[in-house]
Amino acid sequence: MGGFRYERPTTLREAARLLAAAPGASVLAGGTDLLVGLRSGVARPELVVDVKRIPELGRVGWTGDGDLVVGACATLATIASDPRIAAAFPALAEGARAVGSLQVRTRATLGGNLVNASPCMDTAPPLLVLRAEVCLASAHGERRLPLEDFFRGVKATGIEPGEILTSIRIPRPARPGASGFEKIRRGLGHDLALVNAAAALDGPEAPLDGPETLRVAIGSCGPVPILLPPVGLAGLDAEGAGDRVARIALERIRPIDDVRASAEYRRDMTALLCRRLAARLLAGAGSER
Amino acid sequence: MTLHAVTLTVNGRTRTLDVPAERRLVDLLHDDLHLDSVKLGCGVGECGACTVILDGQPVDACLVLAVEVDGATVETAEGEALPGPAGPRLSDLQSALIDRGAIQCGFCTPGIVNSARALLRANPAPGRDEIVEALAGNYCRCTGYEPVIEAVETVARGRGASREAGVGKGGTGPAGGTGPAGGPEPAVPTAPGSGAPFVGTAVPRIDGPAKVMGTAAFVRDLAVPGMLHARLVTSPHAAARIRRIDTSRAAAMPGVAAVLTGADVDVRLGLYMEDKPVLARDVVRYAGEAVAAVAADTATEAEAACAAIRVEYEPTEPVLDVEAALAEGAPQVHPDLARYAWMRGVFFPEPGHNVAHHQKIRRGDVQRGFDEADRVFEFRFANPPVQHAPLETHAALVVARPDGRVEIVTSAQSPFTVRQLFCRAFGLPLQRVRVRVPYVGGGFGGKAGIHLEPLAYCLSRAAGGRPVRLVATREEEFHTLPSRQGLHSTIRTGVTADGRITALEVRYLWDAGAYADYGVNIGRAAAYAGAGPYAIPNCRIDSIVVYTNRVFGTAYRGFGHLEVLWGIERNMDLVARAIGIDPVEFRLRNLLRPGDMTITGELVTEGHGRPDECLRLVAEAIGWDGRRAEHPVAPGSGRVRGRGIAMLHKAPAMPTSTACSATILFNGDGSANVLVSGIDYGQGTYTALAQIAADELRLPLEKIHVPWESDTEFTPYDWQTVASRFAVMGGNAVIAAARECLDQLRALAGQVLHVPPEQVECRDGRAWATGHPERTLDYAELALGYTYPDGTSVGGPIIGKGRYIATGLTNLDPETGQGLPALNWTYGAHGVEVEVDTDTGQVHVLDVASAFDVGKVLNPQQCRAQVVGGVVQGVGSALLEKFVFEDGRLLNDSFTDYRIPTARDIPDRMRQFFVETPHPQGPYGARGVAEHPMISVPSAVGNAVANATGVEFFDLPMDAERVYLGLKRAARASGSVEGQAGSTAGEPAVAR
Repeated sequence: MGGFRYERPTTLREAARLLAAAPGASVLAGGTDLLVGLRSGVARPELVVDVKRIPELGRVGWTGDGDLVVGACATLATIASDPRIAAAFPALAEGARAVGSLQVRTRATLGGNLVNASPCMDTAPPLLVLRAEVCLASAHGERRLPLEDFFRGVKATGIEPGEILTSIRIPRPARPGASGFEKIRRGLGHDLALVNAAAALDGPEAPLDGPETLRVAIGSCGPVPILLPPVGLAGLDAEGAGDRVARIALERIRPIDDVRASAEYRRDMTALLCRRLAARLLAGAGSER
Repeated sequence: MTLHAVTLTVNGRTRTLDVPAERRLVDLLHDDLHLDSVKLGCGVGECGACTVILDGQPVDACLVLAVEVDGATVETAEGEALPGPAGPRLSDLQSALIDRGAIQCGFCTPGIVNSARALLRANPAPGRDEIVEALAGNYCRCTGYEPVIEAVETVARGRGASREAGVGKGGTGPAGGTGPAGGPEPAVPTAPGSGAPFVGTAVPRIDGPAKVMGTAAFVRDLAVPGMLHARLVTSPHAAARIRRIDTSRAAAMPGVAAVLTGADVDVRLGLYMEDKPVLARDVVRYAGEAVAAVAADTATEAEAACAAIRVEYEPTEPVLDVEAALAEGAPQVHPDLARYAWMRGVFFPEPGHNVAHHQKIRRGDVQRGFDEADRVFEFRFANPPVQHAPLETHAALVVARPDGRVEIVTSAQSPFTVRQLFCRAFGLPLQRVRVRVPYVGGGFGGKAGIHLEPLAYCLSRAAGGRPVRLVATREEEFHTLPSRQGLHSTIRTGVTADGRITALEVRYLWDAGAYADYGVNIGRAAAYAGAGPYAIPNCRIDSIVVYTNRVFGTAYRGFGHLEVLWGIERNMDLVARAIGIDPVEFRLRNLLRPGDMTITGELVTEGHGRPDECLRLVAEAIGWDGRRAEHPVAPGSGRVRGRGIAMLHKAPAMPTSTACSATILFNGDGSANVLVSGIDYGQGTYTALAQIAADELRLPLEKIHVPWESDTEFTPYDWQTVASRFAVMGGNAVIAAARECLDQLRALAGQVLHVPPEQVECRDGRAWATGHPERTLDYAELALGYTYPDGTSVGGPIIGKGRYIATGLTNLDPETGQGLPALNWTYGAHGVEVEVDTDTGQVHVLDVASAFDVGKVLNPQQCRAQVVGGVVQGVGSALLEKFVFEDGRLLNDSFTDYRIPTARDIPDRMRQFFVETPHPQGPYGARGVAEHPMISVPSAVGNAVANATGVEFFDLPMDAERVYLGLKRAARASGSVEGQAGSTAGEPAVAR
């Protein structure tokens, strides 16, 4: 592990200043990806900026409108065990819980999982279907970005040099509790996703009197997680919706053969997860929908 | 380098240290604060060995920088015991782990203690699911997790109790009198001194306290002043000529004390076949082979210097599979094979053909057997190379003293074999080399033979005699150190309509990888066991150990038997189904029985044991009904269940002259030290030997001490700790040593008590004159010689020696394989029930019933522990584990992509049955049972998956993807199941 400077700012302003001055810096949150990179030599920062002591980055809070705002440094263990999150956004709680072992989740952060931008991250599909946006801060101010515009490639995001992800905002769901996450892994223990998927029941697309929709996102099947176009549910029962979502997903994913799985298995499992999620979320739904 | 002041409270004590930014918490705790319980298992947060409690939460200390935790509170296993007036008291959790048999090698134990403690503090009464979730991040390769889960359940139900930590005291208390969850109730051992036997009782492990407290020292916990840290440069190519290595920059870097390449070290090594260089010289034969090494003041400096070494390779055409290696004109992995040394008369390499050994078994007339058959079947099977994955990687600490003496401390299974091979390689007299083995964090065969010791020695010599410690990284453990060999089996069976096997013709092609220094013996042993525990009148086996340019193979728990029995036991089911006979009945009709001959011409006697009884027990336990899916089950059919059975057998694979010894030295207080050089790297043998010694010497168990460190200077000779032979051979040696002590005690006591020795009776740690209860002497009065009131003395220190050598074994005939290779066979069987998720292909094992004829259960708790651990390791081979190569390069050389079973992956239920047909030569009739539980688990699972789905699998592992795609293909082909049509065999591996 190579040497580097270490700074531990306690304010966002100070963090932004440090990052602006050192373009080769790495932000350290939970460290569960960064330390692996430091050990292998993939990460060779000259400066590591530990942002965990910036108070607002660790907060989990709710706005008066019922939006959830998760500080970038909130741990996945915290998110996975928060009953209010589980009630409103089950997909997020399930995705957070699917990451690594408990020892990893007690350190790993939501912001870190997103910024690391591994194609198989388990929190991105839930946040995509839940219409999350990320808040980015720098010495020049703040901006917001819908999460679907955040991922640019394998381990690449829309974060500009000198910027830091401060929070993730998830709007009050149209159908609280009507979301879910599924993952295919090797064995039953902690593992990276061979395929993962999240789905959320959503209100109508414009016009507002249109039918309900299902939002679905697929991970590990391309350089970035893939958010499908919302699928209108008019006239569909759970099985029909699952088939339609699976068909759309298969048109859009770009899985590869790698050490973990074949593209063929990933494709078939994508279809399976789409059907499973539709069945879960639309259980009992009739064709009158 | 900037240092940061870090203040932290560790186990209640607050301290401030100056640390560099890049220092990890694991290194701060282990190396700077000497908290040895904080183990490093992988460095990437997968295995949990470094789990500590940080501000109340379990974390992987390898994924935390020390500077991050400034102001935090850290707890390690050292802080788990409670203070008490008579020294530390083990906590309820620590006591429960010992009492439930949840300790084996002990390397992962401190991390487990921390995970469990963090859970119990946050949730004092967790349910099983919560316990499993809390433990799922802690890999354990020995215990199979079930006893660990039971231990935490015991505490969660408020039934745990703390106790004194004094070593020995932990070994004599009641063994888990609390209600188990599914496991058998351990028997309560007899109170010490009562004279009743310890053998046969569930004595908890004598090493339990040291392991739950984290004080058991492994090689990496032993640092010595002036020690250098070594690192390796490894080849990225599977086959290449080394054109040039430039070490000049590395040699000039700060802290570097020695840099070596193959040009500096012209030494080849091997136990059976001397084919392995210490460092690659002129050519590399596998990706991962060490080509250069550096020793420096710090590991970081050594790593930096390694990165500065430039190696110019000229890649050559690699040989990447066994068929290609055997093809005419194939590149030769060892062009000079004919000039190597090997064990002549036992192994038969074929230079020019990439064959390291060809073992032939010829019995009867196989052509006549096929002529007599009503049906003939041929099937092909494959096992991938896999890794032992002990939680402690290989490690060696070596000093080449300027006076010519060599001191080796190593994580090895066999100190005397390390010494012998080392001295042979370097031309040193044996008495000049000392090999010490402290606690070993799992071996499973991977630490048999010799590995990193010679290289560490060369580095120490080059560094002017400074001590050098070389610890393999987890990646090196996978791609540099050996694995289990791959196997391709072709099995042709002739069978009569009424289910008698008339002929068996088998070809085993072993993918030895680049070196076969040990692997040749797997090819030999698996051949003489290669027909299964069946009476085969006409048998022809060709077991061929083939060199390829892949990471090399070695012994792995079961030594080739899991591999060959994958084919043999799947074959038994396939043939039985095809001829319309129930697979259990088919096996019963062909099992070896007293009066039969094995395929090497060994006469089976009553003393061999009862494979039929093992089969009956497991079939009954799982409710075997012979049912199977009539048609292939297509994906999307939900969850389906099926049962499967498989048999197994194994005898120790060892040279005919294998020997073992033990010494017992009495101490002045009448206690005794039992010295052996076999290693207890988790199997529990030392506990069994202590039980035997206590019974033989008529002493309470707490008066027996088995020193944990074996040392070629002080502990007596043993060949190797492999092959499930230690409890048998070591047990016999300890019995002989103890009886010699008793003879001395009786003779001396008789002299003092004025009776003939034969009228002296020993019990309860005293010698008694028969019929004169008042005439008695405590062992303490005799142990160092007896002194009369006037000062005159007689006798002398009581010292017993015991030895045992295998007798009557013969080498196998080179052409026919006939001979007597086996000291003792242990027979067994598994019955399993599985559930297959046809949507994903995921197989879950619901139930495993296992039976072994162990001759005599020396310790029910340790026997159960071996079986549970072995079954779960077998489930790993069955469902998860495989090497994935690309151009000969191992792609999954870390725990991130090489999955082993976690606490979530274990069967729902595991039951153990022991048959006790005494073995005539075993101690108390006992046979070995260390490896056997892992063997044939994949076969039973494969048979169950076939019965559940109607689809046959021929290749391991049956991971979810293979099963899913197998069901998909079978559904498409609408399922012919006879022969291999419509099966998954012969297809290229689906996942690269």
